[in-house]
Amino acid sequence: MMLSRAAFSLFWMARYLERAESQARLLDMSLTMALIDVPEDRVEQLSVPLLVTGATETFYEYHSEITPQNLLDFLVLDDRHHASLYSMIRGARDNALHVRGNLSADVWESINQAWLDMKDLRKQGITESNASQVFDWIRERSHMFRGAAYGTLLRNDAFHFLRLGTFIERADTTARVLDIRYVMAMKSMDENSTQSFFEWTAVLHSLAAFEAYQNTYGHELEPMNVAELLVLNPDLPRSLRSCLQEIASLLEEIEGETGRRSRRLSSSLYANIRYGDRDYIAERGLHEYLVDFLERIEGITEQIRHDFMGGK
Amino acid sequence: MHIQTPGPGLYDELFDENNKVRPHCRMLEQWLEKSDENLIAEKRREANVLFQRLGITFNVYGEEQGADRLIPFDLIPRVISASDWHKLQAGLRQRVNALNKFLFDIYHDFDIVKAGVISAEQVFANPQYQPGMQALKLPRNLYCHIAGIDLIRHSDGDFYVLEDNLRCPSGVSYMLENRRMMMRLFPELFAHSPVAPIDHYPNLLGETLRAASLKPDPTVVVLTPGRFNSAYFEHAFLARQMGVELVEGADLFVHQNKVFMKTTVGPQQVDVIYRRIDDDFLDPLAGNPQSMLGVPGLYSAYRTGNVVLTNAMGTGVADDKSIYPYVPDMIRFYLDEEPILKNVPTWQCRKPKDLQYVLDHLDELVVKEAQGAGGYGMLIGPKASQKEIAQFRSLLKARPDDYIAQPTLSLSTCPTFVDEGVAPRHLDLRPFVLSGKKIQMVPGGLTRVALKQGSLVVNSSQGGGTKDTWVLEDDL
Repeated sequence: MMLSRAAFSLFWMARYLERAESQARLLDMSLTMALIDVPEDRVEQLSVPLLVTGATETFYEYHSEITPQNLLDFLVLDDRHHASLYSMIRGARDNALHVRGNLSADVWESINQAWLDMKDLRKQGITESNASQVFDWIRERSHMFRGAAYGTLLRNDAFHFLRLGTFIERADTTARVLDIRYVMAMKSMDENSTQSFFEWTAVLHSLAAFEAYQNTYGHELEPMNVAELLVLNPDLPRSLRSCLQEIASLLEEIEGETGRRSRRLSSSLYANIRYGDRDYIAERGLHEYLVDFLERIEGITEQIRHDFMGGK
Repeated sequence: MHIQTPGPGLYDELFDENNKVRPHCRMLEQWLEKSDENLIAEKRREANVLFQRLGITFNVYGEEQGADRLIPFDLIPRVISASDWHKLQAGLRQRVNALNKFLFDIYHDFDIVKAGVISAEQVFANPQYQPGMQALKLPRNLYCHIAGIDLIRHSDGDFYVLEDNLRCPSGVSYMLENRRMMMRLFPELFAHSPVAPIDHYPNLLGETLRAASLKPDPTVVVLTPGRFNSAYFEHAFLARQMGVELVEGADLFVHQNKVFMKTTVGPQQVDVIYRRIDDDFLDPLAGNPQSMLGVPGLYSAYRTGNVVLTNAMGTGVADDKSIYPYVPDMIRFYLDEEPILKNVPTWQCRKPKDLQYVLDHLDELVVKEAQGAGGYGMLIGPKASQKEIAQFRSLLKARPDDYIAQPTLSLSTCPTFVDEGVAPRHLDLRPFVLSGKKIQMVPGGLTRVALKQGSLVVNSSQGGGTKDTWVLEDDL
């Protein structure tokens, strides 16, 4: 049992941190791909993080063209909108402050330190040359938060809501990134094989699944394998199946009977993936499959809010 | 390291009047002598980094969000001898006991008013007096469960009570974190000195809050105005240390005169609210209708006896600066004892004779608003300009009831690490007194220190700092 508001804050604290990590990976990959790509396709590469966060329109309110520096300024340090890493870390820290009573000292300190570092970073500024360091730092911070959470939190509802936030966000990100990057990679297949190789590695790297792919399928990059790995593989931590398995089992663990609808929705989506196969995805079309998935994730999130968080 | 000795006529916590180290401070002095300035400076930087990371910060109203300020932390502890503490402790118990009896009395039988010790006007016309609390039965007749009593040591070596804080006194988290910081930075210091532990304060507080209800296993919560409040860190800290929920007004609601919190498993009844919100903001239906911090219907639930507020509504009347001069009389009246702790002599400007004296001696006195707090709205005569004195003169004439005056006391000093090196700075002490089944406290308190040379203003909101407070278990 815990305060509805605390559940809400823990959920969003973890979502923001997960989102920051994903965004760092995504930006890192997009900037690298922009270097590799032919000049005329650079803007397309750079626009991927904007598409994933749905922030393209907001971007053009502040900048007239997509350049690496504009992208970094906008998606890392700008505090005027929600899509920047700065806003995400601040959001995580604000929520953490709200639920300090439910956090261990280690978890709180890991988040608070991230925020203090972020404020310093904002003073220094970001350029292409220190960007990779910043992304590494975000990833480290995210790992540290997760480690502190796993290592020090009681396995009570506070922990469950925190992890729900992580996996809802992760499922959402994997589906979005896969959707956008898959299309780009398919397009490059017709053009030249070197470019195509990089495109497919970009899909995998953006979702921290490159080594996993090689382990599972060997070196041959085959589109349906990529889709299968990221959607159906039960062992890959960022696959849709893994995320849904966690979401369904976390909802089972939460105390009380208020969450029956959330449980039903998530178990049903999980069953869909668990008993799904690559042929079904191919028949349906990956894009359509993912669009449907994203809608259902949104529905689960709404239901969780309604069931546990006082409708917030 | 060189330690500057105190000026003449001051009481120093480390040096006696012959500039010899007091016996119970010898180990501290030996440590200071051994330590070099670079090490201390480095430890000080380390402390700042740690305080930032722990988020032990102080929000100042009007500053941009995110500008969390650190309260300056001084590394040199203030040491209180065992014998001084024994006397202080007895005096604090006596004082808080009398204050609780006074609060009960002025909401029930009014004996002290009937006996003519305090005028009816001063009690019942006091803006902090809550007529709605009259005849209300509170568990154990307790009003003030948590008190913070501000003390200073005068040049005569005695402790004087400066102020009784009975509403929502804050600062106890700094007392605890300062100790933790010192143990972390200088473990060797503690290995060789009999410093009394204070870490059990949250346990005592939890015990006190549970004892505020007559239920066998009451549900306790801490009610905070929210994360923009200057003491939010402390609210969260105490809730976490006690293992209770930290709630905001919006987390609570009242149904059929019972208070519930909104949880993931539905409404849960709350029995004791350790509120860190002032009376007026607790219930928009009963107090300030604009309050977004409170809980509609809370006052009614409280009056029905379905929930306990700590501290009780209306305790503010007893910590008002115009009531303060009567506390020694309260002790005599209710306990039939002589006060152990002294009051600072106080002129009440409401009394024509006192007012005349104050007007004639403005350049020697400290003038305070009876309702003021945080070091705002006061005149420090000896430091004031002619213009400020003239301004206060007209204020006093216009609204004499709102002011009291006290002599400028020479607060004791203690060596403090400042830009100029280690130099004496003025300080005060706020011990925290808990009233439950019995009156308890941990040996220590929050020591606040003025960092500017000669300054007597120790408030955090005015740039004061804090230091660890050591009560010795045995005098060496």
